Amino acid sequence: MAIKFTEVSYQYRSPDGSTFNALKNVSLDIKATGEFIALIGETGSGKSTLVQHMNALMKPSSGQVEIYGVKIETDKKKSKKQKLTPLRQKVGLVFQFPEYQLFEETVLKDIMFGPMNFNIKKDEAEERAKRAIKQVGLDESYLDRSPFNLSGGEKKRVSIAGILAMDPDILVLDEPTSGLDPKGRDALIDLFKSIHETYNKTIIVITHDMNIVHKIASRVLVMRDGELVFDGSSEDLFNNQSLSEWNLEEPDLIKMTKQLEQRYEISIRPFPKNMDELFDRIKDVIR
Amino acid sequence: MITVENISFGYHNQPHVLDDVSFTIEKGSWVSILGHNGSGKSTLAKLIVGLLKAKNGTITVDGIELTEKTVHQVREKVGIVFQNPDNQFVGVTVEDDIAFGMENLCFTREEIVKRIDKYAKQVGMQDYLAKEPHQLSGGQKQRVAIAGILAMDTDIIIFDEATSMLDPHGRDDVLGFIKTLKEKGKTIITITHDMKEAILSDEIIVLKEGKVLKHDHTKVVLQDKETLNESNLELLPSLKLYHKLETAGIVNEELRDYLWQLSLQK
Repeated sequence: MAIKFTEVSYQYRSPDGSTFNALKNVSLDIKATGEFIALIGETGSGKSTLVQHMNALMKPSSGQVEIYGVKIETDKKKSKKQKLTPLRQKVGLVFQFPEYQLFEETVLKDIMFGPMNFNIKKDEAEERAKRAIKQVGLDESYLDRSPFNLSGGEKKRVSIAGILAMDPDILVLDEPTSGLDPKGRDALIDLFKSIHETYNKTIIVITHDMNIVHKIASRVLVMRDGELVFDGSSEDLFNNQSLSEWNLEEPDLIKMTKQLEQRYEISIRPFPKNMDELFDRIKDVIR
Repeated sequence: MITVENISFGYHNQPHVLDDVSFTIEKGSWVSILGHNGSGKSTLAKLIVGLLKAKNGTITVDGIELTEKTVHQVREKVGIVFQNPDNQFVGVTVEDDIAFGMENLCFTREEIVKRIDKYAKQVGMQDYLAKEPHQLSGGQKQRVAIAGILAMDTDIIIFDEATSMLDPHGRDDVLGFIKTLKEKGKTIITITHDMKEAILSDEIIVLKEGKVLKHDHTKVVLQDKETLNESNLELLPSLKLYHKLETAGIVNEELRDYLWQLSLQK
């Protein structure tokens, strides 16, 4: 296992002394390769806190996090001696609105910044930047441009390239498609799919968009009030679980499939993955 | 009423973002301006409130032609809520932020205090008046922005992708406020690429590459398969299936009617 959580809890402390339990007894395992995970749940349910534990940006108040065999120390004295930098290279985290974190004069310098922080030599970092810009579907001509003159979708791609240039095994993205139009969103999703398939990297995506979860995730984690309330396949989630109980919406296609089931008094289970599949399943009934 | 006539706009020496755009928005109606990223829709919003100046053409708001001299008069009539809740929070606290717009319009202190109270309640933020922006979620910040605009009591309110960075509950809240405003007789312009949002409005203007591709009643635009395809917008499954039946040569009027009804539901 690349990442192992054992009964992890985390408490936020306010200056006024009050506490808030952002994670409660979370246990889970994540493999180093081949997983495509969607992490969902309401705002404030603990999703971002959870992923920040995955590369030791945050440390548990109790319980244990193990990343690539390294047990993260909660004891302050011991944790100071811990070398966490290599772990952060292995688990790359793309924050929400990464486009606001671009700061260099050129796209090239911005992408090189990450790897150079991990002591990669300049020549090698430049090579990696050239590779990463292609991986995110932009050509090398972008490298000389200022990151500030790019569109929202392009900026997001450049910031993802910056993380890819660090060559992480696991890529974690916090709401990567928020603010994009449907076309930009689909292009980004296709990009994650191709990174996942071509390089066999594990990808974890935080999202509110249930249509994305339905379309691409093989495994789904549902957070609710700091607890991990579901960890299973997306088929199990949509076919067998009560989403409304967790204040989650159904994907649009499943909503309509259920309406058609009622109208024609038929069963369309398991639910179709896309419109073509739905059409095939109902075309004899509706003719 | 807003009249936009032959408006063109481009940044520096770049190609036009908006190219000869004309339309009229009637008082009290809710119009959605739909288009993909880069179609020019946010630029259009900034032109209407005078944050940008058009190269050619005229914009008239309630009979006042927008010029450098009239821009303040026009801003008393048009309020705008932007996409990113973080970029429009100007106050130190929620209370300050709601007051900001009214202070610019030179309301009396007494009136400002009265309205902060009233509109904070309306958006459910009355218990947060002393909070600072970092203590609020994106949805809460967006509600504060809306309270500030409501307090200015402008006749026209533009929502520039105001829901696109919010979670589903935040989005439903904002759409709820918009419906209430429309019922009160305000003119609403929602700028969006979300079909679910556009379906709620009376009319849709589809922008593509800086030009008006279509401007009609919402129902007419939803029937127009060609425009929908061309605009790169995402359709709800019910509307997709509605159009797919026709392509597949399936004649089932009853199902078509049903899907049509589904498409118009929120």
